[in-house]
Amino acid sequence: MTTTHEQSPAVRADPLSLPPQPVPDAVTAPFWAALAEGRLAMCRCGDCGLWLQPPLERCRRCAGPTRFADVAGTGTVYSFIVQHRATVPGYLDDLPYVVALVELDEQTGLRLPARIVGIDPAEVRCGLRVRAEFTELPGGDFTVAVFRPVDGP
Amino acid sequence: MSRSLGGAAVVGIGRSPFVRSSGRTTLSMAAQAAREALADCGLTAADVDGFTCYSTGDSAGPSQVAHAIGVDDLGWSLSVLGGGNIVTSTVAGAATAVLSGQAEVVVVYRVLGAQTRYGRALERVEVDGEGQFAGPHGYLVPPQWFAMFCRRHQYEYGSTAADLGAIAVQERDHAVRNPHAVARSPITLDDYLNSRWISEPFRLFDCCYEIDGAVAIVVTSAERAADLPHRPVHLLGAADSNRFGGSVDQWDDLSCMYSRDTAPRLWSRTGLQPADIDVACMYDCFTFTVMATFEDFGFCAKGEVGDYFRAGRATYGGDVVVNPHGGLLSEGYIHGLNHHYEAVLQLRGDAGDRQVSGAETALVTSGAGPFGGALVYGTVAP
Repeated sequence: MTTTHEQSPAVRADPLSLPPQPVPDAVTAPFWAALAEGRLAMCRCGDCGLWLQPPLERCRRCAGPTRFADVAGTGTVYSFIVQHRATVPGYLDDLPYVVALVELDEQTGLRLPARIVGIDPAEVRCGLRVRAEFTELPGGDFTVAVFRPVDGP
Repeated sequence: MSRSLGGAAVVGIGRSPFVRSSGRTTLSMAAQAAREALADCGLTAADVDGFTCYSTGDSAGPSQVAHAIGVDDLGWSLSVLGGGNIVTSTVAGAATAVLSGQAEVVVVYRVLGAQTRYGRALERVEVDGEGQFAGPHGYLVPPQWFAMFCRRHQYEYGSTAADLGAIAVQERDHAVRNPHAVARSPITLDDYLNSRWISEPFRLFDCCYEIDGAVAIVVTSAERAADLPHRPVHLLGAADSNRFGGSVDQWDDLSCMYSRDTAPRLWSRTGLQPADIDVACMYDCFTFTVMATFEDFGFCAKGEVGDYFRAGRATYGGDVVVNPHGGLLSEGYIHGLNHHYEAVLQLRGDAGDRQVSGAETALVTSGAGPFGGALVYGTVAP
């Protein structure tokens, strides 16, 4: 679920110009903390090893305790869109931009939505191999992982 | 038939005008639709003891609307949090309340006002929950989610823009004969293909028409229905499926939807199959929602929806008439409850210029992606 807050004038001179900022909670905070250190980490069960996205406090399969573990940052474009219209704030100077569901190599079906960079939108395909890189999220204190095409498997 | 909803019927239908911008409150529009639905079946506020609605926290609640139309003591009130995914559960829940004796006459409504437009989120400053992973990438609204589904279907099954266009064009053709529809000018495939990109592969005409308006239906027992003015429309059965906590990103196969799991459940509960359906009110927040769910419900094989529509099999004179009112794409987006209104109108034989000849069964689907449901209405009690 999402929320709308009163705009803070100091941070947001033009709200349309900045993408929505994440609001970490008790379970997701380590995801954002890892990104701030230049690592992509996902939630994983400490007992059975199942990767969980979105993160959970306890494993949905075995109820074991979870922790965040680094992933390789490599994956495959499962599907993607090319965003042509300003329907969400941010990236308005980048239209049209590409958002993909990247399936991470660690587990079938383990996906992250992310922008794809470094490629003409017309060249993006399902099955494209990609690797994470880290970039500052405009407008705040967060780092995000975007993905760039790589050669080979 | 032990798990059917036999014994419950829809006896009244009502709605407010559907307009792009009403300037009205959700309470005003919902009250109008509820009053009209009661007048339609010859009942008054004094007869009503149950009220329910679904919403995303954006509308006047059941007790408010009941009070506004003159109900003094509401015995059963249920406000359900959800959108298209929860329509079937809400209507089936009203029927269950009637069948279990919790209420005798239940009004089900959905109202949408100016504060609700799901296709854009330009005011969004922060995102929590699962949206915190997507929103920072400029990915946050339903046209984007289901364009993502559509792309995967195109990759796996070779479906095309022209296939989506066939759905958009035909629904608009149907809306031409519906005076209540907001979009009644015919469009051609070229119009579709030349409409602007929104979230590629979705163009403007792939997206439903978001509007202000309200729909209400009245559910009661078949016994009570027998004494009311209209031919009762019986609930034959309903089924839902919810997977992946509703996560559109984690749902395992984007080339299909909840209907993969709902359909066999529904056909099993009702003893029916696609060939038995005369009218299909397919939830159509987007053209692709029709494509995926139509396949999943078994009307045709994967990748064949475009050919099916182009061959005239989904319109008058074909196998099944899909969205004779023009659907959410052209009649307007009342979150799928207008599909129930249309199904009842068709099964009564009161649909005028757009009446489906001899309609006896109607499938009404709701939802998209990882969760949703469907319900079958019939002219004969199960």
